[in-house]
Amino acid sequence: MSGAPDLDQLAAEHAVGILEGEAAARAAALMESDPAFARAVEEWRERLQELDEIVERPQPSPALWERIAADFQAGAPASVLEFRPASERRRGVPGGLAAWRAATAAAVAAALLLAAGLAYFADKASRTPVLVAVLLDETDASPAAIVSAFADGRTDLVPLRSVDVPPGKALEVWTLWDRSVGPRSVGLIDRARSTRLDLAALPRPEANQLFEITLEPASGSPTGRPTGPILMKGLTATAR
Amino acid sequence: MTQSDSEPRQGSSDLAAELAACASGDRQALRRIYDAEGSRMIGVAMRIVRRRDIAEDVVHDAFLQIWRKAGSFDPARGSARSWLFAVVRHRALNVVRDDARTDLVESFEPLALASAEEDAESLVARLSEASALRRCLERLEPTRRALIVLAYVHGLTHGELAGRLRVPLGTMKSWMRRSLLSLRECLP
Repeated sequence: MSGAPDLDQLAAEHAVGILEGEAAARAAALMESDPAFARAVEEWRERLQELDEIVERPQPSPALWERIAADFQAGAPASVLEFRPASERRRGVPGGLAAWRAATAAAVAAALLLAAGLAYFADKASRTPVLVAVLLDETDASPAAIVSAFADGRTDLVPLRSVDVPPGKALEVWTLWDRSVGPRSVGLIDRARSTRLDLAALPRPEANQLFEITLEPASGSPTGRPTGPILMKGLTATAR
Repeated sequence: MTQSDSEPRQGSSDLAAELAACASGDRQALRRIYDAEGSRMIGVAMRIVRRRDIAEDVVHDAFLQIWRKAGSFDPARGSARSWLFAVVRHRALNVVRDDARTDLVESFEPLALASAEEDAESLVARLSEASALRRCLERLEPTRRALIVLAYVHGLTHGELAGRLRVPLGTMKSWMRRSLLSLRECLP
């Protein structure tokens, strides 16, 4: 590809995986239509592949192969991919770079709000939580709800604002304390209202445990995992 | 629990034979690819999607695609291993590009240039001493080296890298262009 430096550059960037938007679409089209381009991409993949060799190698969950095998048994392999891919069952809200940037601001906002929240709860000695999480809106990173866990095991969600819930939908509350287990549902509400969360079957919440709310069908997520966009999320901190 | 890096791995020629078997309908061959490379594939996907459960979904989808596309693998064009990992990376990149970054925990971590470079340095240090890629990456200055490594390993876009390193998008694109060119001139 010495005669086409721009294409070689595009091939390198495609192999690295940094392209997005139009450039990514152009590279994908060239992969199909231009054998020299496809070859250049292959060469770059070979050059960079050592970076895949040095990766941590977590043991796959025992269920993973069973899931793959079950898809083969469910139908002809060629048609399986016409189904929605497993990884698309969880769709997030658009964010990208904005979300990255918002995260920093959100951390500051969370710290401030946490201080305010703790001061509020400190007045109510009989209701002092041991852990508090401020859930931040995924779009604008503003505080949207507070989760408070109490010494006796009660865990409450208190919304700080209303949320648009389309007909046939509901808000599902999730918590994630161990990424190998994945998020677990702890509540389903028809609209943003105060509610007691059900953590009875789960380990007692700890600091840095994630709580999030996603938009799900009115009867709750059909898969037992978040399927709709994340509306708000936050991590617990120890109340002092 | 992770497996040791020194564990024997399947050669790319074996993987090519397994892919040929997949193309002729041998499901056991797909299972053998999974046994040999599945854990590493989860590791590669996790570096991009950041969540174990999503990484497993990525590998799940990747195996369905590997099965479906095995017949299109051409050993004359490249190694089976890079073909397999390209399927995994492509799927993982689609997830983060399409779905935005839904990562639950990592988005709360601070994103500093110093830690980005440190992250990249520790990755480069894990490459074999004899590696031409390592030698050539080490010739680049640290920020440029971090660009390429982090873009590849974490699937960051030009825009995300620019945001992370707090430079204008155009500057990022030209840094990346020159870094890749330097790498190209150095590598065999």
